[in-house]
Amino acid sequence: MTTCQECKSFFPLDEDQAKGDCVQRVKDPRQAYYMAKPVNAEDDCSSCASFHKKEFVQ
Amino acid sequence: MTQAALRDTSVDVFEKNQEWWWAAEKKRSTRLDYLRKAIWKKGAIGGLYAPGVKVDLERAKLHTQKAKEMEASPDPFVMKFAKILAHVLDNKTIFITDQAQLVGYTGSLPHTMAWDPSCASILNEEAYNDPTAIPDPVDENQQVIREICNYWIGKSDLDKMMPVFDMEDLMKMLSGSIGWGVPLARGGYSNKDYEYIMTGKRAFGDIIEELDRKIDEVDAEVHKPGATAETARMYDKLNNWDAMKITLEAGIRIAKRYARLARIIAENFEEDPQRKEELLKIASACEQVPAKPPRTLQESFQYDIFIQMMSRNEAIEGAWPSRPDYYHGPYYDKDVNIDKTLTKEEALDLVGEFLIRAAEVCQFKPKWTREGLQGIDGTWVWTMGGVKKDGSDACNDLTIAFMQAARLVRVANPTFSFRWHPKVSDEVMREIFECIRQGLGYPSMRHDPVLIANSMHWHGHPIEEARTWVHQACLSPCPTTKRGYQPMRMANATANCAKIIEYVFSSGFDHVVNMQVGAETPDVATLTNFEEFFGAWIEQMKTIFSILVRAVNRARMLAPTLTPRPFLSGISERSIESGLDTCEPSLAQGNAWITAFTWVENIDSLAAVKKLVFDEKKYTLAELKEALAKNWEGCEEMRLDFVINAPKWGNDDDYVDDIMLRCLDEAAKFSKVLKCPSGNNWPILPENVSGNIHYANIVGALPNGRRLGDALYDGGVSPGPGLDKNGPTAVLKSCGKIDHITGGRAFLLNQRLSPTQLADEKGYQLWRAYMRTWADLGIDHIQFNMVDDKTLRSAQKDPEKYQEVIVRVAGYSAHFVDISRKTQDNIIQRTVQGLG
Repeated sequence: MTTCQECKSFFPLDEDQAKGDCVQRVKDPRQAYYMAKPVNAEDDCSSCASFHKKEFVQ
Repeated sequence: MTQAALRDTSVDVFEKNQEWWWAAEKKRSTRLDYLRKAIWKKGAIGGLYAPGVKVDLERAKLHTQKAKEMEASPDPFVMKFAKILAHVLDNKTIFITDQAQLVGYTGSLPHTMAWDPSCASILNEEAYNDPTAIPDPVDENQQVIREICNYWIGKSDLDKMMPVFDMEDLMKMLSGSIGWGVPLARGGYSNKDYEYIMTGKRAFGDIIEELDRKIDEVDAEVHKPGATAETARMYDKLNNWDAMKITLEAGIRIAKRYARLARIIAENFEEDPQRKEELLKIASACEQVPAKPPRTLQESFQYDIFIQMMSRNEAIEGAWPSRPDYYHGPYYDKDVNIDKTLTKEEALDLVGEFLIRAAEVCQFKPKWTREGLQGIDGTWVWTMGGVKKDGSDACNDLTIAFMQAARLVRVANPTFSFRWHPKVSDEVMREIFECIRQGLGYPSMRHDPVLIANSMHWHGHPIEEARTWVHQACLSPCPTTKRGYQPMRMANATANCAKIIEYVFSSGFDHVVNMQVGAETPDVATLTNFEEFFGAWIEQMKTIFSILVRAVNRARMLAPTLTPRPFLSGISERSIESGLDTCEPSLAQGNAWITAFTWVENIDSLAAVKKLVFDEKKYTLAELKEALAKNWEGCEEMRLDFVINAPKWGNDDDYVDDIMLRCLDEAAKFSKVLKCPSGNNWPILPENVSGNIHYANIVGALPNGRRLGDALYDGGVSPGPGLDKNGPTAVLKSCGKIDHITGGRAFLLNQRLSPTQLADEKGYQLWRAYMRTWADLGIDHIQFNMVDDKTLRSAQKDPEKYQEVIVRVAGYSAHFVDISRKTQDNIIQRTVQGLG
């Protein structure tokens, strides 16, 4: 199962890494914006069309 | 206009041609131009939302999910409700638009309309039945909406209220024939206790500390030895205070979510250093407010937006009572004039964006509201100018900045209404005139000394309190103080007054909705003189007003328990102090009014009957009754007699003007018989929004020659379109015969002026002279359309080119292309008055 925490768009909360925001760039017909939606790190995002695997840098 | 043509034409040329909307596009900053064009128009056009604008399912799902979760909770209702609101704020999607410096929106995404499914099942069914507003995939989401609708059947506010209303009254009201709206404390026009929350003395964090103190004190009190009736009541107070605290804390949390998003964008996505800096400033502002009082103009605007956003998550608010130059003015002064941390141009960008943020706000509304408020989501009539509590001039540099910004961004909502008084400077008057001359349709002008006296007369507000007034909706003044502010004006005390005269001819039976709605007055054909006829009119007037007022009074009494407002209470001094919901009538001075839609039809009809039936005896009442029943069909000659040969209001003709005064006098007397739950009066306030079009197919034929389906008159005391034939001074003289202090709460007057005549300094001086006459006559309101027929006709033919052409519809403005063809034609038909 793919989870939100593996995604580039996931930004964990400092105080609770199990929770965070899915932050995405959107361009609609009138404007461009960034949006944030609260998600859990362990949420299943297997069917999420916006999923982009996070690249881990050592 | 093509982009190339716009680029190649100079501002001077546009201004010379009075094409202000194109001049504005060229004059405003790149940022304002982007943000202005980024707006998704939320106002309905002819009752339908614009393509691409969708109902926000996220909020409805979050609300329903939490409500289900809490069904078995032992919490009292107010606590459950507060927790649901907090859940919505904690979990909704938020966004920050490119170039924006201010954040916060009612829906989850820019093109969505917030939908609160807990207000009324009848609203929910409209969401289900409006496929144009259902987001893709439509079939799937329609099913989601169905499930939400099903859950709230029997549980929504209105569903809970209906069984405890007078069912006969409710059916008459909901027939749509005499009223407009439903009696709910979570749906209407909500003022705020701005003197408590917007003066920089406190913010949410301070209030939470105060609540903690109150809770600790009372908790200790209830556990002392002894028990009294007051002790028993304290538990409810504790619950209310806890609920207020929950919502205020949620308000601080959502602001911090915006701060976090701004930082994430700045640190991870944004490459432009200037934009990074702006994003960090947004973050700093959202960490400061609403937790702590604002320090800058940007934070002051941001604070205001958060308050409005939270209040609009708690209730459907169809108005935006506000006095932004007064409350934000000190921050403008500090930043621009004292600290010089903002240039005037930078401040103008913020002011323009503040207008844009407000213009975007939207909550999904029922169709009758959309039809009555064509082109806008609600009446955001912002109050400018006026006097301070000590009576001195309240205008400041921000008053001027708002006028300038309005001309640049040309939004139709919010509009401004200016509290004129004799000490207003020429500089401010010139700025106002420029807005009107450039075709914004606003500010409307209000006579401050008259309206302060009016507030004292009708509702007994002390003078210092009366001087704080803002527009509760389109016109009605309401203070912004602890006892004076009104938490919710329910729109259903809006009377479709043309029914008064219609029912005289049908003995109260409504042939359009096919039920007995009015009083069963005698068969009109049996009335033998005008006094008997007028007596029947009074009876119908009293009956209609009473039905509407009874329902509002009942809803207001039930509001603290059935439809509490913990957030609004949390920003109200009287609730913090007392522990009672802010809708509790005993806490308020009471500031009710009956909006009198379609009022002037009564006057012209009564005058026609008096002259042609009783004075000249050309027709009998039986003949007239028959002609009206046939909608004048086959009686065209007779109809034209009633149109042409009966005197009409607005021509300085005492024959008909005296009838206006008699009608107002009767209404005023009855206004003092009707009492609100706070014990205060119910004066009438003649105005229309676009009710004159909404009611066109609901009001039957009338003795002024109107047929079923014809547009009704457009204003509260405006003459019928094209019927004011004696010039602008005669209109003012007619209106000046009304006592605008004791005759009613306020009186809407629309006037159309010629943009050509008022083009230069001479034009300004003509307008000033006209306004002096207006002021001398003590008329409380006037508003202007100053766009010529040629432009309006061109906009009808080619709407894409005229997106920012604005007209004054009634108590509000709208973009001309966003209103129905019938309303457009009605505006074009209004008489263009030449001054001088």
